[in-house]
Amino acid sequence: MNGIKILLITGVVFIAVYFFVRLRNSLFDLILLLLLVCAAVAFILFPEITNQLARNLGVGRGADLVFYTSIIIFWYVILKLYARLRKLEQIITTIVRKNALEQAEISKTIRDDS
Amino acid sequence: MLSQNNDNVFVIIPVFNEKKEVLVQTIRELQKASYSIIVVNDASANDISLPGIGITYSLRHEVNLGQGAALQTGIEFALQKKATYLVTFDADGQHSSADIPALLLPIQNNEADITLASRFLKPGHHNASFSRQLLLKTARWINYLFTGLYLSDAHNGLRAMNRAAAEKVALKENRMAHATEFLFAIKKNNLRFKEIPATVTYTIYSKSKGQSVFNSIRIFFDLVLHKLFE
Repeated sequence: MNGIKILLITGVVFIAVYFFVRLRNSLFDLILLLLLVCAAVAFILFPEITNQLARNLGVGRGADLVFYTSIIIFWYVILKLYARLRKLEQIITTIVRKNALEQAEISKTIRDDS
Repeated sequence: MLSQNNDNVFVIIPVFNEKKEVLVQTIRELQKASYSIIVVNDASANDISLPGIGITYSLRHEVNLGQGAALQTGIEFALQKKATYLVTFDADGQHSSADIPALLLPIQNNEADITLASRFLKPGHHNASFSRQLLLKTARWINYLFTGLYLSDAHNGLRAMNRAAAEKVALKENRMAHATEFLFAIKKNNLRFKEIPATVTYTIYSKSKGQSVFNSIRIFFDLVLHKLFE
């Protein structure tokens, strides 16, 4: 095992532990994480696998294949984050609106029909 | 047909960093017809307290959420206050209060649930620049793509609706994509709608408050995401 492999595997393990601590609540996320980690470690230890996969799929090098798939995964993550942002925005809106409705000022100078 | 009692007509004005003189002018015009006025201040930076103007209701968002959110707040408040008819009205002085009776008429006659003002239905009723017309025409097509409704004017802030329609309209888009959300609501609930010709007066001021091309792109993305995450 050479230096870069140790470095990469350590990185993957650290990230995995970090996510494991944060995502404990969702079984689906856990399984996905486990699969990804296993795949990552396998690819690091045996880079020939990615080359073989890439050739089968018609991509030149294994590294390219990994690059392309990461782009797709990143897009997915960005969309998920966006969805969460929108949800947060809706929650904030609800709170601000509730306050605005409760603290509405009703002018006494004109008619007060409430 | 000028109705004597306009108490049950609630005009909702979303306000963000509006020039005070313009806002006061807009409100005074509406008061002449004795509408109930709801001003929703979307956390403006400048002071827009309106002492002595005698507006009926004044609401304030603690943080800036966007025009769509302000409208929805106004709509919910009007419904609380037992409004029969609701009108949305821009604060920047581009609309004319004289157009409101024409928008209300089909609703009062029970021919429509919601009416949308259009600056393009009658020639000479707007002084939009060429670039703005192009922008609005593009917006029209985008609205058609998203809702299947092809309207002559895509983003006009002046609308009127009855209580039932207002209850169905639940704006979730906080920013400017809400204009299309009204169309979603029409489509989804089979609301009867009508386009009514109305004047839009562009001043240097209202142009400065209007939508830029960049903003329009953002509206488009908001709509795509709205559809994605519905």
